[in-house]
Amino acid sequence: MAPLVNQARTWRRAVPVLVAVIVLAPAFGDPGADSFPLSTYPMFSANRPSRADLVTVVGVTSVGAMVRLSPELIAGSDEPILAAATVADSIRRSQSDELCAEVAARVRTEKPGVVEVVVRTEHVDVVAHIADDADPMGSTEHARCPVPP
Amino acid sequence: MTTSGSAIELGPVGIDEPFLRRLGLIRILVASYATVWTAVRAPHLFDMVAFADRRFDPVGILAPLNGPPGRAVVVTVVVATCVCGVAAAAGWRYRVTAPALAVLFLVTTTYRHSWGQIFHTENLTAIHLAILALAPADRYWALHLGPDAATGSMANDTAGTTDDGGWAVRALAVATVAGYVVAGVAKLRNGGWAWIDGEVLVHQVAFDNARKEVLGDVMSPVAGFFIEHRGLARPAVLASMAVELGAPLALLGRRAGMTWSLAAWGFHMAILALMAIVFPYHLLGLAMIPLLPLEEWTARKHVIAL
Repeated sequence: MAPLVNQARTWRRAVPVLVAVIVLAPAFGDPGADSFPLSTYPMFSANRPSRADLVTVVGVTSVGAMVRLSPELIAGSDEPILAAATVADSIRRSQSDELCAEVAARVRTEKPGVVEVVVRTEHVDVVAHIADDADPMGSTEHARCPVPP
Repeated sequence: MTTSGSAIELGPVGIDEPFLRRLGLIRILVASYATVWTAVRAPHLFDMVAFADRRFDPVGILAPLNGPPGRAVVVTVVVATCVCGVAAAAGWRYRVTAPALAVLFLVTTTYRHSWGQIFHTENLTAIHLAILALAPADRYWALHLGPDAATGSMANDTAGTTDDGGWAVRALAVATVAGYVVAGVAKLRNGGWAWIDGEVLVHQVAFDNARKEVLGDVMSPVAGFFIEHRGLARPAVLASMAVELGAPLALLGRRAGMTWSLAAWGFHMAILALMAIVFPYHLLGLAMIPLLPLEEWTARKHVIAL
């Protein structure tokens, strides 16, 4: 009985060490190889330039005015980071037209004044924009589609 | 143990009750959190079923999947997570419900992270649940204790064990601090030493808020002030690096654990203030509770109540 008890005690003592090894392991691997629940926790770590390319989807009214769309309309989710990832993935995979059509379908009932949807990348000096409200330096259009009637 | 006679039977080590009491409280808090989180996020999880298949990018245990699971599977897993969460929080049939909760919560959260974005907000919850599933966390405040549950006594059927639960409390605490260390290392690996001078943080805050703006989301009301006063960035970076890379110091003792927990909570409050990003498990203090002497605080409440 005593050896069994001692063996169990030894194993239990090893568990915190095992947990440390498992959770710390991603720190020694590829920094870009993130996963779940074990993670490299790369959030906020990238050395981003002040001038950034921000992907988004916007609406356009009949008089040509631009309307910001919510994450729900862009990606069907209330998560802005997921919306950004969805747009970025669509552009990277050359699937902007498909995303544009999906957003237009959602916009139809939620934003009556919007007649077109545009998938685009906005080129912004983010520091100047947040600090001084500087305008974007330009944009690149990836897809444009009408909102269905 | 509740009686000195039982403690003698256990041999020279005996049972150290505080760990078991703390585990009981951690079980209730973490399992309840997982249950509420799943219930609150259920509509969002169900909405994901309507996402285009091309957006499915499975990670972790779902990585082998070729396509997203159907609505029936998602609904079943989400509902089962909530049911097992309630049961595990109550300590009911814990040896079955706790592992089931750990697996189901892992599947649920992995599904959420399998649509092109890993959020990093539920990692620690999933790991804590996995450790709790193996731990003797049902010896206090559990349904199977019957009338003793309210006063927090050990179950008769667990008498005679040599497991004081200390290993589990230490494992939970280690999981917490190790995660912060990995995040600190990532900043040095990805951002380099430029991260230390504060400029990377300024750009991160500006980028995150500008991205929120173009996506029609709520920005931080204090981000502009922070960026205009860049001198704040360097001390903020040094403080965040101290919290992350210095996290193992929290394991040195009770005072160190409490001090670090407060600092880590402040770190997450700063993230909330500057980038409007919510880490609910951490902001509620649940990430840090393995480091806190919860059982003493509840004991004091008992004394005050008497």
